[in-house]
Amino acid sequence: MKAVIIDDERLARAELRRILAAHPEIEIAGEASNGDQALALVAQTSPDLLFLDVQMPGLTGFDVLERLEDIPQVIFTTAYDQYAIKAFEVNALDYLLKPIAPARLASALAKVRPSTGSGRLERVFVRDGEHCWIVLLADIVLLESDGNYTRVYFNGHRPLIRRSLNALEAQLDPAIFFRANRQEILNLKWIDKVDLGVSGGLVATLKNGRTVEMSRRQSGRLREILSL
Amino acid sequence: MRNKYGYWIYQTAWWGIYAAIGLAVNVANGGSLRLLTFSHILFFAYSLGLSHLFRKVIEWRRSRRPTFVQMRLFLGGGVLVISLIQTILVISIDTVLNAGQASSWTLGAAGALWYGMYIGTLIWTVIYTRVAERRIQEERETHMQQAVHTAELRALEAQINPHFLFNSLNSIRGLVVENPQKAQDMITRFAALLRYNLNRDRQHTVPLSQEAEVVEDYLALEAVRFEGRLRVQFTVDPAAESLQVPPMILQALVENALKHGIAKRPEGGDVSIHATAENGALVLQVENTGEFAPVRPTRDGDTQIGLNNIRERLRLLYGDRASLSLKNGDGVVAATVRIPITA
Repeated sequence: MKAVIIDDERLARAELRRILAAHPEIEIAGEASNGDQALALVAQTSPDLLFLDVQMPGLTGFDVLERLEDIPQVIFTTAYDQYAIKAFEVNALDYLLKPIAPARLASALAKVRPSTGSGRLERVFVRDGEHCWIVLLADIVLLESDGNYTRVYFNGHRPLIRRSLNALEAQLDPAIFFRANRQEILNLKWIDKVDLGVSGGLVATLKNGRTVEMSRRQSGRLREILSL
Repeated sequence: MRNKYGYWIYQTAWWGIYAAIGLAVNVANGGSLRLLTFSHILFFAYSLGLSHLFRKVIEWRRSRRPTFVQMRLFLGGGVLVISLIQTILVISIDTVLNAGQASSWTLGAAGALWYGMYIGTLIWTVIYTRVAERRIQEERETHMQQAVHTAELRALEAQINPHFLFNSLNSIRGLVVENPQKAQDMITRFAALLRYNLNRDRQHTVPLSQEAEVVEDYLALEAVRFEGRLRVQFTVDPAAESLQVPPMILQALVENALKHGIAKRPEGGDVSIHATAENGALVLQVENTGEFAPVRPTRDGDTQIGLNNIRERLRLLYGDRASLSLKNGDGVVAATVRIPITA
């Protein structure tokens, strides 16, 4: 499994590398000492796992995540638990407090799942004011277009992300995400029931209570999918 | 002092006037001036003594922390007892002085006398309690203000920044493998910094030389983290070494400079620290590379907190005789603290 280490302190990176030596399944594909280097490194190596320091000069760890299209699994490393709660909110895999205890590293690594390798988007990073989330696509109920932005509905939250619905659609698994109309893409696994609407199209009621009306063309397609 | 003095003036004046009025009324009613003067001087003396004793008892009772109602009942009872003693004393002395003559004390006259004594002592007690209670209240408030002041100061006395603490420990952990000798040195410095923070003997100021040593330790530890990104120049005017400074104040200035001048800049920067004595003031100047961005809200909300904290400490310790100013220009931010030289 490929991992990269992102930390502004050389000694901290060296220290993490040393304790990672006990885990031969983790291959360290590279190190970065600031956010810009990190972005280049991730683009170049497509790692499965990031060890990400939160406080860095220039871009912070969160800034880095915001600029990545596809988010690998993330383990935050931080010196102080100031960011621990935030790390939980972003649904990071885990967070490690420096100095890192080797046993603690092992338990964090135990949560790492091999990536599906499908090339499809697995997670997106979402920031809404003070809140950040790493959202698993499976948790997303609905994506709604809002100009050049997209509103993401998951776990009762509905923040905006800085990507258009069309750009996102290209990266989504069509077996799970269904284009309902020009405005909305829904997650088929979150459909509660489907009714016939007044205008003749299908109306899906999602498990979060929201209803989504299919365009005429997509109604036919949904009928096909559901009858299968 | 003033209060004690005031109490005796009050005592003398109150019972003096009370006795004088009594004397005047009795003389006007045709008594013997000589005997009446004698009995009223006695009255003045024992009333003063009784009320003074009463005051001692009140203080004792108050030290047992009575409730408001308990204290009022106690005072009322005291007034009753004292006025009764006064009445008995007045009648007894009058009877002795007029020995041989038929006693003129009817029950009604004694009752009227007791009523007069009661009113006199009651007023004395009301005035005394009012003044005493207000003084206690004032003392309590002053005491509380001092406690708040001290607590504020303690809270502001910069503790070691936990971020720095854990990052340093992490760096030292790395050094143990890479450069054991340097790791040992860093552990010693780390210990010195911790000790300085932990046992400051409740002192509000320390000699600058002591503060400077700790800043050296602090910088050495930060240099391990920042490596080549941190470049430091540090001079202390020998004339300033023995001057008093609030502990961790220079350290806080340097930490602030590092946070803005080094930590946020991938390429790092320079920090220069100068301590000098001039015009009756100790001047601490810390410059760092960078631009001062006023009130830029950041997610961690750290903007200005460090400097505001220093400002508040200076205000609590020196009022408006100390200052902290910030200057910005040519890619350098300079923070200057002026502290009045105290003995």
